[in-house]
Amino acid sequence: MAADPRHGPAPDLWDPLVRTSHWGIALVVLANAVFTKGGSSVHVAIGWIGIALLVLRLAWGLVGAPEARFGAFPPQPRAAIAHLRSLWSGKPGHYRSHNPAGAMMVYALWISLAVVIATGLAMTTDSPATIADREAIVTSGDWSTLAGTSDAGDDDAQDEHARKWVKEVHEMAANLMLALAVLHVAGVMVESRALRRNLVMPMIFGRRK
Amino acid sequence: MANAKGRQSAALTAFLIIQTVAAAFFVGDAVGDLIADPTGPHSIYEVFVALALCLGIVFGIVALRRTLVRMRDQEAAIATASGALAQVIDSQFSDWALTPAERDVAFLALKGLDVAEIAGLRGAASGTVRAQLTRIYQKSGVSGRAQFAAFFVEDLLGAALVPT
Ligand code: HEM
Ligand code: HEM
Repeated sequence: MAADPRHGPAPDLWDPLVRTSHWGIALVVLANAVFTKGGSSVHVAIGWIGIALLVLRLAWGLVGAPEARFGAFPPQPRAAIAHLRSLWSGKPGHYRSHNPAGAMMVYALWISLAVVIATGLAMTTDSPATIADREAIVTSGDWSTLAGTSDAGDDDAQDEHARKWVKEVHEMAANLMLALAVLHVAGVMVESRALRRNLVMPMIFGRRK
Repeated sequence: MANAKGRQSAALTAFLIIQTVAAAFFVGDAVGDLIADPTGPHSIYEVFVALALCLGIVFGIVALRRTLVRMRDQEAAIATASGALAQVIDSQFSDWALTPAERDVAFLALKGLDVAEIAGLRGAASGTVRAQLTRIYQKSGVSGRAQFAAFFVEDLLGAALVPT
């Protein structure tokens, strides 16, 4: 077992980049799923912040601190199932990064976030600033200025169909991500209890030794 | 020391986040300009700035990782050093043939507890502890408490604790 690089003492404190990107992404997802109006400049601006956080975290997964790298929590469905079983039997192993089941969840969350972002980008051709400009025009009531922009409303039917489809995927992936996030938090609770170790503290301030 | 490094890594992270968000917004904007006018001077200038921003992010990531790794190495070194000191003390106590009870009292004395505190901790009378301390000083050949503590400090300063 000692040869398995996944085993070892769990982090007392995740490194600052993992912590900030985690809570940043959680806030971004919550804000866009619940509070902002889909397609508004605020929605897209927050979405872009999400892009930045995700890209930074993925880069950190390639070259970052040892327990934050993908190699420390490889996607292994079979190990994930074995881990869930061990939770049942009451003898779960300790891992130095995310446990195998948690790792599958992490990848599922990242992939759905990537799908949401990709479909969101496909629906928008403009930066948040440009969208905000357009919103200002609409608010001012002088719609004539909008002629010739991507919002002019002269797209053909095929475009309209494709857009509807992309929007559908965007919303579905967003809902899927929310459902996964609920499961994720439930998993954290169950794991914390089974290991008799608070998993959330290392994600916030860490445990003082 | 560990705290200064902790602050440094927190600052580096904040810098990285801000820079990456700024880069995302700038690159997103630049891509639009690039599509509109791929070879214009404005596009070329924006590509240049975008590359510089990304390079900055790469440097930031490398610096953050270095800081974190150095922090961990220091913690490990301190743990080794304190482990080594405990070992030195332990073998010295054996050399002086301290009894198990005397060892405990000697350790507490080294930690800076006074007679009343040691007695309280061990549930013993002060007189007993005082007698034990006297025996300990006798066995180690020191004149009293100050010299007893100094014995190990001298060891700490005089020779390398961690085998190199
Ligand atoms: C980061 C997490 C995100 C979540 C959870 C999310 C969620 C949603 C949801 C639930 C809707 C439909 C709600 C409504 O119609 O009011 C929506 C619409 C939309 N989202 Fe997002 N979104 C995210 C990111 C993005 C990004 C990054 C972009 C673009 C760059 C984007 C662009 C859009 C657009 C344009 C619509 C409007 C679709 C339409 O009504 O035609 N979203 N989003
Ligand atoms: C929409 C909301 C959320 C999303 C998208 C999300 C996503 C993620 C992701 C991607 C990771 C892996 C972190 C990394 O390696 O960088 C993670 C880990 C973690 N999350 Fe969340 N999270 C969300 C909400 C929450 C909440 C509300 C909590 C608090 C209970 C939480 C607690 C944790 C913990 C404790 C870990 C580390 C698990 C471990 O020790 O292996 N998350 N989350």
